[in-house]
Amino acid sequence: MIWIIMIVTGLLTFWMRFVMFSGLTPRTLPRSLEDALDFVPIAVLTAIIVPAVVFTDGNTLAIADNTRLPAAIIATVVALLTRSVVMTIIAGLMALWTLPFIGF
Amino acid sequence: MMIDAILDNHLTQDGSRTDMTIENGQNIHDHNDHETTALQEFWRGVRDQSPLLVGVVPFGLVFGVLGVASGLSPLQTILMSSIVFGGASQVLFAQLWASGTPPVFVGGSVSIINLRHVLYSASVASHLRHLPFYWRVVLAYLLTDEAYAVSIKRFMERPDNPVKHFHLLGSGLLLWICWQTTTAIGVFAGVTIPPTLSLDFIIPLTFIAIVAPAIRNTAHVMACITSAVIAIFGQALPWNAWILLAAGGGIAAGWATLHFNGRRSRT
Repeated sequence: MIWIIMIVTGLLTFWMRFVMFSGLTPRTLPRSLEDALDFVPIAVLTAIIVPAVVFTDGNTLAIADNTRLPAAIIATVVALLTRSVVMTIIAGLMALWTLPFIGF
Repeated sequence: MMIDAILDNHLTQDGSRTDMTIENGQNIHDHNDHETTALQEFWRGVRDQSPLLVGVVPFGLVFGVLGVASGLSPLQTILMSSIVFGGASQVLFAQLWASGTPPVFVGGSVSIINLRHVLYSASVASHLRHLPFYWRVVLAYLLTDEAYAVSIKRFMERPDNPVKHFHLLGSGLLLWICWQTTTAIGVFAGVTIPPTLSLDFIIPLTFIAIVAPAIRNTAHVMACITSAVIAIFGQALPWNAWILLAAGGGIAAGWATLHFNGRRSRT
């Protein structure tokens, strides 16, 4: 069963990467669909980021006593300033590792 | 082997004769100082991609560890990296699978995560549409977040370069090799990474680096907030349905804000 889901997922992923230069689709998308696609990365990735930051083990919401939250905020600031994936990862991990030593 | 075959094939496509030598191939490019050869462009893609490996290497290791921890077999974990070849979607797949999510919801959630690739596909389409079928298949397979990011930049800098697609081949192939290798290392060496390092935090950090700079207007902010709120309050829903709801809700909120603002500014 898992193999089937995995292969279907793989084919769907490939198709999404291929579809716009497959020669089978019109050269331009309908305007409203194009507008909606603009929000896909933000909406989708936020839905992964937020629970990974605020839900610690056991699916409990943790705002206080959760180093991941300030670390994620620091990483966001670094991402906005540097626009660099590398710098964001370094800043976020450094914050996560060092903040507990200064009282977070 | 594959690169050689594609390079050879490219040289024969440049001219009408199939017995064309490499010297002839270079002569074509000598007409214009700005043009690089296919091989130069390939290595340029490899070079442009290499800084991003700092994020990809730990991400691949984390996926390898996570896959096995989620109950996938080592073979399934390793092959998923070449069958799906998408960091976010593979991690989500493993997490959903581990929590006993029904297959339809696993497939649905992973597909909505991957919808953003349609955007990349649309964005590179004008640069790749003229290529032969097998080229488009290979480049589509390699079109990940990272490969897209570095190669679209190059495409836009040199839109008239006839061998520009070799840049995407180089950046995509380096990423592919790195992803397969680190997944395998994660699978077999995973147990030795101490959990106190919290390397799984690299996954949300990578996405923060993509999302934060992408938020440029009110509609983007609305999409982000809506998705975050639904993701938090939807955690209790069965089948991890919150992912589909949060992503769909965020897209709808952004779209609605855009159209509301648009109408208001026109009147």
